[in-house]
Amino acid sequence: MAVSSNKQLPANLEYIQYEHRLEAQYLPAIRALISKDLSEPYSIYVYRYFLCQWSHLCFMALDPKDSSLIGVIVCKLEVHSSHSPPTRRGYIAMLAVASHFRGRGVATALVKKAIDAMANRNADEIVLETEETNTAAMKLYEGLGFIRSKKLHRYYLNGNSAYRLILLLKAVDPDQTSLYDEHQVT
Amino acid sequence: MADFGVGVPDEIARLSLGQGSAPQDTLPPNIRSEGVVAVDITAKFSDAVKTLEPGAIVKDGFFTLFDSVSALEIMDPKMDSGCSTTDAEVEHLYDVSRPLLPEEVLGIIDQLLCHEMSWHLGYPLSQTLFTSFYIEALSMPDPRSIQEATFIRNGGHDPDEQPMLQVLRAYCLSMLKSCGYVNERIKSEHYYEEEDFVTNTYNRTLMANLPTSAIRDVLIEAMAALKSQRGSVPDNLVDALVLRLELRHIFLDAVECPKHMKEPDLAKKPWREGLAILPALNKSHSLASPVDEAFSAKLQRKLASTMPPRPIVQLEFDVAFGHLKGLFEDGLELIDVLHYRDSQCLLTFVSTFQAKKPQPIVYVRTLLQTFLFDAMEVLGSMSIRQLLDDDFAILTMPAHQYLDRLNDEVEAVQDPRYAMAQQMELFRTRAAQPFLDILRTTCQNRCRVRRTLCHLLRDWESLQVDAEEIDQILQVKVKEQPTMHWPSMSSGGVESYSLPLSSWTYLYKLRQMEQIIQLGFELEVYQSDELAGMYWYLNYISKSRLHHTERIKSFVIKRVEETHGQPGNSDPTIAAQLQRSLMYTRLSLLDAAVTWELSDSLSCLYTVLNRLKLIKAPPRPYGTDELRYEIRMRPFAPVGLPVLPTFEEFTAGTLQPDTGIDELFEYAERAVEGAKRGFEALSKMTAEESFSVGSHQRWASATKNGLKSCIATKIAISAVQKAMEKSKDLDNLKIKVEIPTPQKAYHESWIVPKILPLA
Repeated sequence: MAVSSNKQLPANLEYIQYEHRLEAQYLPAIRALISKDLSEPYSIYVYRYFLCQWSHLCFMALDPKDSSLIGVIVCKLEVHSSHSPPTRRGYIAMLAVASHFRGRGVATALVKKAIDAMANRNADEIVLETEETNTAAMKLYEGLGFIRSKKLHRYYLNGNSAYRLILLLKAVDPDQTSLYDEHQVT
Repeated sequence: MADFGVGVPDEIARLSLGQGSAPQDTLPPNIRSEGVVAVDITAKFSDAVKTLEPGAIVKDGFFTLFDSVSALEIMDPKMDSGCSTTDAEVEHLYDVSRPLLPEEVLGIIDQLLCHEMSWHLGYPLSQTLFTSFYIEALSMPDPRSIQEATFIRNGGHDPDEQPMLQVLRAYCLSMLKSCGYVNERIKSEHYYEEEDFVTNTYNRTLMANLPTSAIRDVLIEAMAALKSQRGSVPDNLVDALVLRLELRHIFLDAVECPKHMKEPDLAKKPWREGLAILPALNKSHSLASPVDEAFSAKLQRKLASTMPPRPIVQLEFDVAFGHLKGLFEDGLELIDVLHYRDSQCLLTFVSTFQAKKPQPIVYVRTLLQTFLFDAMEVLGSMSIRQLLDDDFAILTMPAHQYLDRLNDEVEAVQDPRYAMAQQMELFRTRAAQPFLDILRTTCQNRCRVRRTLCHLLRDWESLQVDAEEIDQILQVKVKEQPTMHWPSMSSGGVESYSLPLSSWTYLYKLRQMEQIIQLGFELEVYQSDELAGMYWYLNYISKSRLHHTERIKSFVIKRVEETHGQPGNSDPTIAAQLQRSLMYTRLSLLDAAVTWELSDSLSCLYTVLNRLKLIKAPPRPYGTDELRYEIRMRPFAPVGLPVLPTFEEFTAGTLQPDTGIDELFEYAERAVEGAKRGFEALSKMTAEESFSVGSHQRWASATKNGLKSCIATKIAISAVQKAMEKSKDLDNLKIKVEIPTPQKAYHESWIVPKILPLA
């Protein structure tokens, strides 16, 4: 995972938003890139669950030389109502950067794009989980303004615990419930 | 050739999903009935599909992320356990009737031990014990009798008669039986499925239908068979195998220890016996020769499960043995909880036991819950009323008329004692759950303790409303005379009532707030630049607790004086209760004071380190500090009292912009000196004085670690001061700050920075 903010971004990298028509071209590469860091693979349905519903919240970093995939971020944005009042909660589900491009701010650029896209769509907050051992990822998110809200015991299949990280974009107003009821109806 | 007894009925038994031992017989719907008209939609379906782009997702509104994660890709060998190997092929992978050398049996047993401990640590049976061909052979189909529980079923010759296989069979059966006990115990208490433990047995019964006595007999026979091998099998191998069978025998006693709840010494026996043989068992592991082919992840295709196949969990023997030893040590230590002294000693026992590092494993934690709460009785013999009344008496109501059992006998409605009995019973009903929840919560994993306390805090907040109401009612009924205070700044006197129930509740609420903050340090929830603020907030809450305890103390002293004023009153139990409350007040004051002062000192120190930019806040281009404060304080937002500081107050408290560095250091030094004296006074307390009878060693070592944290804080302060004297340039002090992880700190909730010279 890329962390460094002091190194220069490769100016020539191309950042594009995912679209369904790109599935044949990029989905295999996205899966390969993300699976590399996972002990067990996600099924194709997990990718399609996100990409078909929130393609506008998925961004890819491409090598302009050959348009090959260097990094990807996959997110969703939904009304979260297990708490009162309900909030529009963004969720960063997956983030990966090819190992030889790490340390150049690619991941940071992808996360920023995703945050901006979710903020534009009125997200109240953005959350994610990261493995307790993944200090690089935590440094990246915390550098951008996320804080740890809780620790989740043995959250991953490999037995590692996770931290829930959260970035609040708007103050939660307890009197605003009706706004979200309206949203749910439409 | 191994015959697994595969027949049609067995296949059906294997097919059923879920946890239960009874196969589910859901029949397919009958499509040939008169009410059903079957229509072939193949052509329509193919046409409809043509309108979709490849990869388009077709789902209803209820299809969740969880559903997508649990979906399998058919024919992907990583997910579809059926696509690469057939059942028959799996069975041919290993022959459970093959003769085994003694060192191989030892090897398999030690491999099973590693898998058993992995299971205890939270991995599913499918990736641990159920990857053993021997376990599969014994488990499926479920043996209905001990005679049927053999590796080879319906075989003409009986290879199970081979002494070495007999040993392995006895080991496996007794291990599975004890796993069954463990699984049932955990299921019957509060735990988190998958997070703490996976109770799924994939339709295997773990020998639930075989009596434990029959399995014990098999163990004894196997030990005899083993001993008859002396001469042909080297002594050290025989000894090693005997030890392992003995361990299984002991383990079966250990898992049955709750039946000796009233005889703690008997309950301790198996744990003690286990600990006695463990060193020899560990030593003899070097003789073992592992048989890797006796385990296969492919056995997972025989398990009733929707999960994709997953790799075998490999735990090193040394690590597994460490956990096994920990299990027996904790099991033994745990029995001491049965020696009840008073409610506060019980709370100290439970909280120090669960704060052990590493934390006791989930089985031990659920066993503690059984002891605490089994059959609505605390520790097997006490009512919840006894426990609560004991606690009220210690904290705020020593020898109090509200707690007089004789009140229950009063039938005259206008008698104030009638109201006391009624109102106290009402309060007990309301308080019982939140109070027991404190104990139950403490038994969870550390992450859950913090999360659950955040929820529990709301219950205590509403309990406080009830408590205040009942206090008011009773205060009028008994015509309580208020104490008058003359605060120095005010002109008139202030009336003050004892409010024993709301005082009790408020004290617990404050303790929980402190614990939530402190667990945040222990679980590394806060970033380094947040430490100044979080210690500031801890300081704020512990200050409230100190003031509140002082208030409680004044009323306890009033009760002491009143009692001494009554010459006819020489009841020794009253004197003892008053004495106990005074002792508790002293402990509580000191404990609040050291928390207050050490957090004050650390907050000032971190403020200086932030100001000197020795700790740097990340850039944080998104969100605002005020929004981050909102998240941080979310657990405390529902609490009315103590009032949540505003963001401005918090910022001012954390930055202390009008206070110079020298002055901040002066505060920090004074505070840490006070904390140090407090910890010294605490560490001189006896088990009785510190309400840690039964767990004094653990309590004392935590106190000592608090004292060490004070010393480390003093060292850190003077290191920064020296660097500032040496270099007049505050931007170039030639030092750096290292924030230790909680495991490396003297005490997990006192994160004292280390000041190191810049290399």
